[in-house]
Amino acid sequence: MLILGIDTSCDDTCASVVEDGVRIISNIVSNQTEIHKKYGGIVPELASRRHIEMIWPVVDEAVKVAVIKPEDLSAIAVCHGPGLIGSLLVGCSFAKAICYSKNIPLVTVNHLEGHIFSCFLDERGPEFPFLSLIVSGGHTCLYRVDGFGRYRELGRTRDDAAGEAYDKVSKLLGLGYPGGTVIDKLAHNGNPDAIDFPRPYLPESFDFSFSGLKTAVKLEVEKLRRCEDRGFSTSQPLNFLTSYVCDIAASFQASVVDVLVRKTEWAVKKERIKRVALSGGVSANSELRKRMKEMGDAIGVEIFIPSVSLCTDNAAMIAAAGYHHFNTGNIAGLDLNPQAYLPL
Amino acid sequence: MRLLSKGPEETKDIGFRLGRFLKGGDVVALYGELGSGKTTMVKGIANALGIEEREIVSASFTMIVEYSTTPPLFHIDLYRIEKDAELDEIGLQNYIGGEGISVIEWAEKAGRELPEDAIWVELKSVSETMREIIIEGIDEKDWDNL
Repeated sequence: MLILGIDTSCDDTCASVVEDGVRIISNIVSNQTEIHKKYGGIVPELASRRHIEMIWPVVDEAVKVAVIKPEDLSAIAVCHGPGLIGSLLVGCSFAKAICYSKNIPLVTVNHLEGHIFSCFLDERGPEFPFLSLIVSGGHTCLYRVDGFGRYRELGRTRDDAAGEAYDKVSKLLGLGYPGGTVIDKLAHNGNPDAIDFPRPYLPESFDFSFSGLKTAVKLEVEKLRRCEDRGFSTSQPLNFLTSYVCDIAASFQASVVDVLVRKTEWAVKKERIKRVALSGGVSANSELRKRMKEMGDAIGVEIFIPSVSLCTDNAAMIAAAGYHHFNTGNIAGLDLNPQAYLPL
Repeated sequence: MRLLSKGPEETKDIGFRLGRFLKGGDVVALYGELGSGKTTMVKGIANALGIEEREIVSASFTMIVEYSTTPPLFHIDLYRIEKDAELDEIGLQNYIGGEGISVIEWAEKAGRELPEDAIWVELKSVSETMREIIIEGIDEKDWDNL
Protein backbone atom coordinates (compact mmCIF):
# COMPACT_ATOMS: atom_id res chain seq x y z
CA MET A 1 0.00 0.00 0.00
CA LEU A 2 1.56 3.28 -1.11
CA ILE A 3 0.99 6.56 0.70
CA LEU A 4 2.23 9.96 -0.47
CA GLY A 5 3.15 12.17 2.47
CA ILE A 6 3.32 15.97 2.23
CA ASP A 7 4.63 18.39 4.86
CA THR A 8 4.88 22.17 4.50
CA SER A 9 4.51 23.05 8.18
CA CYS A 10 7.67 25.10 8.59
CA ASP A 11 10.70 25.83 6.45
CA ASP A 12 10.99 22.86 4.15
CA THR A 13 8.65 21.58 1.47
CA CYS A 14 8.63 17.81 1.80
CA ALA A 15 7.05 14.94 -0.10
CA SER A 16 7.63 11.23 0.21
CA VAL A 17 6.20 7.93 -0.97
CA VAL A 18 6.20 5.19 1.64
CA GLU A 19 5.07 1.61 1.30
CA ASP A 20 3.09 -0.07 4.10
CA GLY A 21 4.02 2.66 6.52
CA VAL A 22 7.65 1.52 6.81
CA ARG A 23 9.47 1.29 3.45
CA ILE A 24 10.65 4.61 2.00
CA ILE A 25 10.34 4.58 -1.78
CA SER A 26 11.20 8.26 -2.21
CA ASN A 27 11.96 11.07 0.22
CA ILE A 28 12.28 14.59 -1.11
CA VAL A 29 13.00 17.73 0.91
CA SER A 30 13.20 21.15 -0.71
CA ASN A 31 16.52 22.07 0.89
CA GLN A 32 18.22 19.23 -0.97
CA THR A 33 20.64 20.64 -3.51
CA GLU A 34 19.63 18.07 -6.14
CA ILE A 35 16.17 19.59 -6.27
CA HIS A 36 17.59 23.00 -6.85
CA LYS A 37 20.03 21.90 -9.47
CA LYS A 38 17.16 20.30 -11.35
CA TYR A 39 14.62 23.07 -11.06
CA GLY A 40 16.92 26.04 -10.94
CA GLY A 41 17.33 28.71 -8.33
CA ILE A 42 19.61 28.83 -5.36
CA VAL A 43 19.11 26.90 -2.15
CA PRO A 44 16.73 29.08 -0.20
CA GLU A 45 18.00 30.68 2.98
CA LEU A 46 16.39 29.77 6.24
CA ALA A 47 13.80 32.47 6.12
CA SER A 48 12.59 31.86 2.59
CA ARG A 49 9.85 29.36 2.79
CA ARG A 50 8.91 29.26 -0.85
CA HIS A 51 6.39 26.50 -0.48
CA ILE A 52 4.23 27.77 -3.29
CA GLU A 53 7.18 27.56 -5.68
CA MET A 54 8.51 24.27 -4.36
CA ILE A 55 5.41 22.18 -3.77
CA TRP A 56 4.93 21.09 -7.37
CA PRO A 57 8.60 20.22 -8.10
CA VAL A 58 8.99 18.43 -4.78
CA VAL A 59 5.84 16.31 -5.09
CA ASP A 60 6.61 15.65 -8.75
CA GLU A 61 10.09 14.47 -7.85
CA ALA A 62 8.75 12.24 -5.07
CA VAL A 63 6.37 10.55 -7.49
CA LYS A 64 9.01 10.28 -10.28
CA VAL A 65 11.71 8.83 -8.04
CA ALA A 66 9.17 6.33 -6.69
CA VAL A 67 8.34 5.40 -10.29
CA ILE A 68 4.62 5.43 -9.63
CA LYS A 69 1.54 7.07 -11.03
CA PRO A 70 -0.89 8.98 -8.80
CA GLU A 71 -3.38 6.17 -9.40
CA ASP A 72 -1.04 3.79 -7.53
CA LEU A 73 -1.52 5.71 -4.29
CA SER A 74 -3.91 4.41 -1.65
CA ALA A 75 -4.03 7.80 0.03
CA ILE A 76 -2.32 11.14 0.44
CA ALA A 77 -1.27 12.08 3.96
CA VAL A 78 -0.77 15.78 4.61
CA CYS A 79 0.48 17.55 7.71
CA HIS A 80 -2.29 19.91 8.81
CA GLY A 81 -0.53 21.39 11.86
CA PRO A 82 0.95 22.66 14.00
CA GLY A 83 3.03 25.21 12.13
CA LEU A 84 2.92 28.45 10.22
CA ILE A 85 -0.59 28.71 8.83
CA GLY A 86 0.42 30.23 5.49
CA SER A 87 2.91 27.42 4.94
CA LEU A 88 0.51 24.66 6.04
CA LEU A 89 -2.08 26.00 3.63
CA VAL A 90 0.17 25.30 0.65
CA GLY A 91 0.57 21.62 1.46
CA CYS A 92 -3.05 21.16 2.47
CA SER A 93 -4.49 22.92 -0.58
CA PHE A 94 -2.21 20.99 -2.89
CA ALA A 95 -3.10 17.68 -1.28
CA LYS A 96 -6.81 18.45 -1.40
CA ALA A 97 -6.54 19.35 -5.06
CA ILE A 98 -4.83 16.11 -6.04
CA CYS A 99 -7.22 14.05 -3.94
CA TYR A 100 -10.20 15.75 -5.49
CA SER A 101 -9.01 15.44 -9.06
CA LYS A 102 -7.72 11.88 -8.78
CA ASN A 103 -10.34 10.66 -6.34
CA ILE A 104 -7.73 9.58 -3.78
CA PRO A 105 -8.56 9.49 -0.06
CA LEU A 106 -7.02 12.20 2.08
CA VAL A 107 -5.71 11.75 5.59
CA THR A 108 -4.30 14.37 7.94
CA VAL A 109 -1.34 13.97 10.25
CA ASN A 110 -0.18 16.12 13.13
CA HIS A 111 3.48 17.07 12.63
CA LEU A 112 4.34 15.77 16.10
CA GLU A 113 2.62 12.48 15.36
CA GLY A 114 4.82 12.30 12.28
CA HIS A 115 7.93 12.65 14.44
CA ILE A 116 6.67 9.87 16.73
CA PHE A 117 6.35 7.55 13.73
CA SER A 118 9.73 8.37 12.19
CA CYS A 119 11.29 5.54 14.22
CA PHE A 120 9.31 2.96 12.22
CA LEU A 121 10.83 3.92 8.93
CA ASP A 122 14.50 2.96 8.66
CA GLU A 123 14.51 -0.29 10.48
CA ARG A 124 12.58 -2.31 12.99
CA GLY A 125 10.53 0.08 15.06
CA PRO A 126 9.79 -0.20 18.77
CA GLU A 127 6.93 -2.24 20.14
CA PHE A 128 4.22 -0.41 22.04
CA PRO A 129 4.32 1.10 24.55
CA PHE A 130 7.38 3.31 24.15
CA LEU A 131 8.47 6.81 25.11
CA SER A 132 8.98 9.31 22.32
CA LEU A 133 11.30 12.27 22.86
CA ILE A 134 10.84 14.87 20.12
CA VAL A 135 13.63 17.44 20.10
CA SER A 136 13.81 20.01 17.35
CA GLY A 137 14.04 23.74 16.72
CA GLY A 138 10.34 24.16 17.23
CA HIS A 139 9.52 21.40 19.72
CA THR A 140 10.86 19.66 22.77
CA CYS A 141 8.37 17.22 24.23
CA LEU A 142 8.10 13.79 25.71
CA TYR A 143 5.21 11.44 24.95
CA ARG A 144 4.15 8.04 26.13
CA VAL A 145 2.94 6.09 23.09
CA ASP A 146 0.63 3.17 23.84
CA GLY A 147 -0.52 2.58 20.29
CA PHE A 148 -1.50 4.42 17.18
CA GLY A 149 -3.59 7.39 18.22
CA ARG A 150 -2.83 6.78 21.89
CA TYR A 151 -0.37 9.47 22.90
CA ARG A 152 -0.01 10.97 26.33
CA GLU A 153 2.14 14.04 26.74
CA LEU A 154 4.40 13.64 29.75
CA GLY A 155 6.15 16.98 29.40
CA ARG A 156 7.19 19.72 27.06
CA THR A 157 9.32 22.83 27.05
CA ARG A 158 8.00 25.77 28.99
CA ASP A 159 9.95 28.23 26.87
CA ASP A 160 12.65 27.54 24.26
CA ALA A 161 12.94 24.28 22.38
CA ALA A 162 16.35 22.62 22.61
CA GLY A 163 17.09 23.18 18.92
CA GLU A 164 16.17 26.80 19.27
CA ALA A 165 18.58 27.14 22.20
CA TYR A 166 21.31 25.72 19.95
CA ASP A 167 20.51 28.24 17.22
CA LYS A 168 20.42 31.20 19.59
CA VAL A 169 23.65 30.19 21.33
CA SER A 170 25.26 29.78 17.95
CA LYS A 171 24.22 33.32 17.09
CA LEU A 172 25.55 34.60 20.42
CA LEU A 173 28.88 33.03 19.57
CA GLY A 174 28.86 34.69 16.18
CA LEU A 175 28.55 31.36 14.40
CA GLY A 176 26.34 30.24 11.56
CA TYR A 177 23.05 28.44 11.07
CA PRO A 178 21.98 25.77 11.72
CA GLY A 179 23.42 26.18 15.18
CA GLY A 180 23.14 22.53 16.10
CA THR A 181 25.61 21.32 13.48
CA VAL A 182 28.14 24.07 14.19
CA ILE A 183 28.03 23.66 17.96
CA ASP A 184 28.19 19.86 17.71
CA LYS A 185 31.39 20.18 15.66
CA LEU A 186 33.05 22.78 17.90
CA ALA A 187 32.09 20.89 21.03
CA HIS A 188 34.33 18.02 19.95
CA ASN A 189 37.30 20.33 20.46
CA GLY A 190 36.04 21.82 23.70
CA ASN A 191 35.97 20.87 27.35
CA PRO A 192 32.39 20.15 28.51
CA ASP A 193 33.40 20.77 32.12
CA ALA A 194 35.03 24.14 31.46
CA ILE A 195 31.93 26.14 32.41
CA ASP A 196 29.32 24.88 34.82
CA PHE A 197 26.21 26.04 33.00
CA PRO A 198 22.91 25.49 34.80
CA ARG A 199 21.11 22.23 34.19
CA PRO A 200 17.40 23.06 34.34
CA TYR A 201 16.21 19.64 35.48
CA LEU A 202 12.78 20.78 36.73
CA PRO A 203 12.56 17.62 38.83
CA GLU A 204 8.92 18.15 39.79
CA SER A 205 7.73 17.55 36.24
CA PHE A 206 8.75 16.17 32.86
CA ASP A 207 8.67 19.66 31.39
CA PHE A 208 11.83 21.23 30.00
CA SER A 209 13.18 24.76 30.07
CA PHE A 210 16.16 26.02 28.10
CA SER A 211 15.74 29.77 28.13
CA GLY A 212 17.65 30.16 31.42
CA LEU A 213 20.55 28.20 29.97
CA LYS A 214 20.52 30.41 26.88
CA THR A 215 20.71 33.49 29.14
CA ALA A 216 23.58 31.93 31.11
CA VAL A 217 25.53 31.42 27.89
CA LYS A 218 24.79 35.01 26.91
CA LEU A 219 26.21 36.25 30.22
CA GLU A 220 29.30 34.10 29.72
CA VAL A 221 29.82 35.44 26.21
CA GLU A 222 29.44 39.01 27.49
CA LYS A 223 32.04 38.27 30.16
CA LEU A 224 34.33 37.01 27.44
CA ARG A 225 33.86 40.12 25.37
CA ARG A 226 34.59 42.35 28.36
CA CYS A 227 37.62 40.42 29.55
CA GLU A 228 40.75 42.16 28.36
CA ASP A 229 43.09 39.99 30.41
CA ARG A 230 42.18 36.96 28.36
CA GLY A 231 44.13 38.54 25.61
CA PHE A 232 41.14 39.59 23.51
CA SER A 233 40.50 43.19 22.78
CA THR A 234 36.85 44.05 23.24
CA SER A 235 36.52 45.05 19.62
CA GLN A 236 37.74 41.72 18.35
CA PRO A 237 34.92 39.44 17.23
CA LEU A 238 34.89 36.03 18.82
CA ASN A 239 37.17 33.84 16.79
CA PHE A 240 35.53 30.50 16.30
CA LEU A 241 38.90 28.84 16.42
CA THR A 242 39.65 29.96 19.93
CA SER A 243 39.52 27.17 22.42
CA TYR A 244 37.31 29.16 24.73
CA VAL A 245 34.52 29.28 22.19
CA CYS A 246 34.85 25.51 21.84
CA ASP A 247 34.64 25.21 25.61
CA ILE A 248 31.45 27.28 25.69
CA ALA A 249 29.98 25.11 22.92
CA ALA A 250 30.96 21.90 24.69
CA SER A 251 29.74 23.05 28.10
CA PHE A 252 26.44 24.30 26.70
CA GLN A 253 25.93 21.05 24.80
CA ALA A 254 26.77 19.02 27.91
CA SER A 255 24.07 20.86 29.82
CA VAL A 256 21.40 20.32 27.18
CA VAL A 257 22.27 16.67 26.68
CA ASP A 258 22.46 16.02 30.43
CA VAL A 259 18.95 17.37 30.90
CA LEU A 260 17.46 15.50 27.92
CA VAL A 261 19.06 12.19 28.86
CA ARG A 262 18.43 12.43 32.57
CA LYS A 263 14.77 13.36 32.22
CA THR A 264 14.22 10.59 29.71
CA GLU A 265 15.78 8.19 32.19
CA TRP A 266 13.44 9.41 34.94
CA ALA A 267 10.46 8.98 32.64
CA VAL A 268 11.57 5.46 31.75
CA LYS A 269 11.67 4.57 35.44
CA LYS A 270 8.40 6.26 36.31
CA GLU A 271 6.44 4.84 33.38
CA ARG A 272 8.25 1.49 33.59
CA ILE A 273 8.86 1.37 29.86
CA LYS A 274 11.83 -0.30 28.22
CA ARG A 275 11.83 1.46 24.86
CA VAL A 276 12.66 5.05 23.92
CA ALA A 277 12.47 6.60 20.46
CA LEU A 278 14.21 9.84 19.61
CA SER A 279 13.18 12.18 16.79
CA GLY A 280 13.37 15.80 15.64
CA GLY A 281 16.36 17.70 14.29
CA VAL A 282 18.33 17.72 17.55
CA SER A 283 18.33 13.92 17.58
CA ALA A 284 20.87 14.20 14.76
CA ASN A 285 23.28 15.58 17.38
CA SER A 286 26.21 13.22 17.90
CA GLU A 287 26.54 13.80 21.64
CA LEU A 288 22.83 13.26 22.30
CA ARG A 289 22.82 10.05 20.29
CA LYS A 290 25.89 8.77 22.10
CA ARG A 291 24.68 9.63 25.58
CA MET A 292 21.18 8.26 24.99
CA LYS A 293 22.60 4.94 23.83
CA GLU A 294 24.92 4.88 26.86
CA MET A 295 21.96 5.49 29.14
CA GLY A 296 20.00 2.76 27.41
CA ASP A 297 22.85 0.28 27.78
CA ALA A 298 23.33 1.19 31.42
CA ILE A 299 19.72 0.63 32.48
CA GLY A 300 18.61 -1.94 29.94
CA VAL A 301 16.44 0.25 27.71
CA GLU A 302 16.28 -0.02 23.92
CA ILE A 303 16.95 3.30 22.21
CA PHE A 304 15.56 3.85 18.72
CA ILE A 305 17.15 6.67 16.76
CA PRO A 306 16.31 7.21 13.09
CA SER A 307 18.97 8.06 10.53
CA VAL A 308 19.93 11.73 10.39
CA SER A 309 17.78 12.47 7.32
CA LEU A 310 14.71 11.20 9.14
CA CYS A 311 15.40 13.22 12.28
CA THR A 312 14.87 16.55 10.56
CA ASP A 313 11.53 17.51 9.05
CA ASN A 314 10.45 15.17 6.28
CA ALA A 315 7.29 13.79 4.72
CA ALA A 316 8.20 10.12 5.05
CA MET A 317 7.19 10.30 8.70
CA ILE A 318 3.90 11.91 7.67
CA ALA A 319 3.27 9.06 5.23
CA ALA A 320 4.18 6.54 7.94
CA ALA A 321 1.64 7.91 10.38
CA GLY A 322 -0.80 8.49 7.53
CA TYR A 323 -0.71 4.78 6.74
CA HIS A 324 -2.22 4.07 10.16
CA HIS A 325 -4.83 6.80 9.81
CA PHE A 326 -5.88 5.28 6.50
CA ASN A 327 -6.00 1.76 7.88
CA THR A 328 -8.22 2.81 10.76
CA GLY A 329 -10.58 4.55 8.36
CA ASN A 330 -9.65 7.99 9.61
CA ILE A 331 -10.24 9.78 6.30
CA ALA A 332 -10.34 13.57 6.15
CA GLY A 333 -12.95 15.57 4.33
CA LEU A 334 -11.91 17.86 1.51
CA ASP A 335 -13.12 20.76 3.62
CA LEU A 336 -10.20 20.27 6.00
CA ASN A 337 -8.41 23.37 7.25
CA PRO A 338 -4.91 23.43 8.66
CA GLN A 339 -4.40 24.70 12.19
CA ALA A 340 -1.45 26.71 13.41
CA TYR A 341 -1.90 25.55 16.98
CA LEU A 342 -2.64 21.84 17.14
CA PRO A 343 -1.86 19.96 20.31
CA LEU A 344 -1.43 16.21 19.89
CA MET B 1 6.30 54.63 31.96
CA ARG B 2 9.22 52.87 33.67
CA LEU B 3 8.76 49.75 35.75
CA LEU B 4 11.27 47.54 37.46
CA SER B 5 10.95 43.77 37.53
CA LYS B 6 12.99 41.77 40.00
CA GLY B 7 12.47 38.49 38.23
CA PRO B 8 10.38 36.41 35.81
CA GLU B 9 7.33 36.32 38.11
CA GLU B 10 7.20 40.11 38.26
CA THR B 11 7.66 40.34 34.50
CA LYS B 12 4.69 38.01 34.11
CA ASP B 13 2.65 40.16 36.52
CA ILE B 14 3.41 43.26 34.49
CA GLY B 15 2.41 41.34 31.38
CA PHE B 16 -0.82 40.29 33.06
CA ARG B 17 -1.67 43.90 33.89
CA LEU B 18 -0.94 44.88 30.33
CA GLY B 19 -3.05 42.01 29.05
CA ARG B 20 -6.06 43.24 31.03
CA PHE B 21 -5.81 46.45 29.04
CA LEU B 22 -5.84 44.95 25.62
CA LYS B 23 -8.69 44.62 23.19
CA GLY B 24 -9.16 43.33 19.66
CA GLY B 25 -7.02 45.20 17.12
CA ASP B 26 -4.32 46.15 19.62
CA VAL B 27 -0.68 45.58 18.77
CA VAL B 28 2.02 45.19 21.42
CA ALA B 29 5.57 45.62 20.13
CA LEU B 30 8.19 43.98 22.36
CA TYR B 31 11.82 45.01 22.20
CA GLY B 32 14.70 43.48 24.12
CA GLU B 33 17.78 41.32 23.74
CA LEU B 34 17.91 37.55 24.09
CA GLY B 35 16.98 36.65 27.65
CA SER B 36 15.43 40.02 28.53
CA GLY B 37 12.05 38.43 29.25
CA LYS B 38 9.98 39.08 26.13
CA THR B 39 8.36 35.63 26.05
CA THR B 40 7.94 35.75 29.83
CA MET B 41 5.97 38.94 29.34
CA VAL B 42 3.83 37.27 26.67
CA LYS B 43 3.00 34.53 29.19
CA GLY B 44 1.64 37.21 31.49
CA ILE B 45 -0.35 38.90 28.72
CA ALA B 46 -1.79 35.56 27.60
CA ASN B 47 -2.74 34.69 31.16
CA ALA B 48 -4.90 37.80 31.27
CA LEU B 49 -6.72 36.48 28.20
CA GLY B 50 -7.38 33.17 29.85
CA ILE B 51 -4.48 31.18 28.37
CA GLU B 52 -2.42 29.13 30.80
CA GLU B 53 1.16 30.32 30.88
CA ARG B 54 2.43 26.82 30.10
CA GLU B 55 0.71 27.06 26.69
CA ILE B 56 2.89 30.02 25.70
CA VAL B 57 6.35 28.96 24.59
CA SER B 58 8.93 30.61 22.40
CA ALA B 59 7.52 31.30 18.94
CA SER B 60 10.89 31.84 17.29
CA PHE B 61 10.54 28.86 15.01
CA THR B 62 6.89 28.98 14.05
CA MET B 63 6.95 32.76 13.93
CA ILE B 64 3.18 33.15 14.32
CA VAL B 65 1.16 31.17 16.83
CA GLU B 66 -2.58 31.72 16.98
CA TYR B 67 -4.77 31.15 20.01
CA SER B 68 -8.53 31.05 19.61
CA THR B 69 -9.40 33.22 22.57
CA THR B 70 -11.94 36.02 22.30
CA PRO B 71 -10.48 38.13 20.85
CA PRO B 72 -7.85 35.84 19.29
CA LEU B 73 -4.26 36.23 20.44
CA PHE B 74 -1.45 36.17 17.90
CA HIS B 75 1.95 35.51 19.40
CA ILE B 76 4.36 36.71 16.74
CA ASP B 77 8.13 36.31 16.89
CA LEU B 78 10.22 37.90 14.16
CA TYR B 79 13.61 36.64 15.38
CA ARG B 80 14.20 34.62 12.23
CA ILE B 81 13.17 37.34 9.79
CA GLU B 82 16.13 38.56 7.76
CA LYS B 83 14.50 40.59 5.02
CA ASP B 84 11.41 42.78 4.75
CA ALA B 85 10.04 40.56 1.98
CA GLU B 86 9.75 37.73 4.46
CA LEU B 87 7.19 39.72 6.43
CA ASP B 88 4.95 39.37 3.37
CA GLU B 89 5.67 35.66 3.12
CA ILE B 90 4.50 35.00 6.63
CA GLY B 91 1.47 37.22 6.07
CA LEU B 92 2.18 39.64 8.92
CA GLN B 93 -0.26 42.22 7.54
CA ASN B 94 -3.11 39.77 7.93
CA TYR B 95 -2.68 39.88 11.67
CA ILE B 96 -1.72 43.42 12.58
CA GLY B 97 -4.74 45.60 13.20
CA GLY B 98 -7.16 42.78 12.53
CA GLU B 99 -9.71 41.53 15.00
CA GLY B 100 -7.13 39.91 17.25
CA ILE B 101 -4.49 41.08 19.66
CA SER B 102 -1.00 40.86 18.18
CA VAL B 103 1.98 40.63 20.49
CA ILE B 104 5.19 40.88 18.50
CA GLU B 105 8.63 39.87 19.80
CA TRP B 106 11.67 41.36 17.98
CA ALA B 107 9.29 44.06 16.79
CA GLU B 108 12.17 46.09 15.32
CA LYS B 109 12.03 43.67 12.40
CA ALA B 110 8.45 44.67 11.64
CA GLY B 111 9.61 48.16 10.79
CA ARG B 112 6.96 50.17 9.02
CA GLU B 113 4.34 47.45 9.40
CA LEU B 114 3.71 48.50 12.99
CA PRO B 115 0.71 50.80 13.46
CA GLU B 116 1.29 54.19 15.04
CA ASP B 117 -0.90 53.38 18.01
CA ALA B 118 1.01 50.22 18.87
CA ILE B 119 1.96 49.81 22.51
CA TRP B 120 5.77 49.75 22.76
CA VAL B 121 7.40 47.70 25.49
CA GLU B 122 11.15 47.65 25.92
CA LEU B 123 12.81 45.19 28.28
CA LYS B 124 16.35 45.92 29.43
CA SER B 125 18.54 43.68 31.56
CA VAL B 126 19.75 45.58 34.60
CA SER B 127 21.26 42.59 36.34
CA GLU B 128 21.05 38.84 36.06
CA THR B 129 17.45 38.81 37.27
CA MET B 130 16.35 42.44 37.21
CA ARG B 131 14.77 44.06 34.19
CA GLU B 132 13.79 47.62 33.48
CA ILE B 133 10.52 47.61 31.53
CA ILE B 134 9.56 50.74 29.63
CA ILE B 135 6.00 50.90 28.31
CA GLU B 136 4.85 53.56 25.88
CA GLY B 137 1.35 53.98 24.57
CA ILE B 138 -0.47 53.54 27.83
CA ASP B 139 -1.50 56.37 30.10
CA GLU B 140 0.18 56.06 33.48
CA LYS B 141 -3.09 57.07 35.15
CA ASP B 142 -4.95 54.24 33.45
CA TRP B 143 -2.21 51.78 34.47
CA ASP B 144 -2.41 52.81 38.12
CA ASN B 145 -6.18 52.52 38.05
CA LEU B 146 -6.07 48.88 37.02
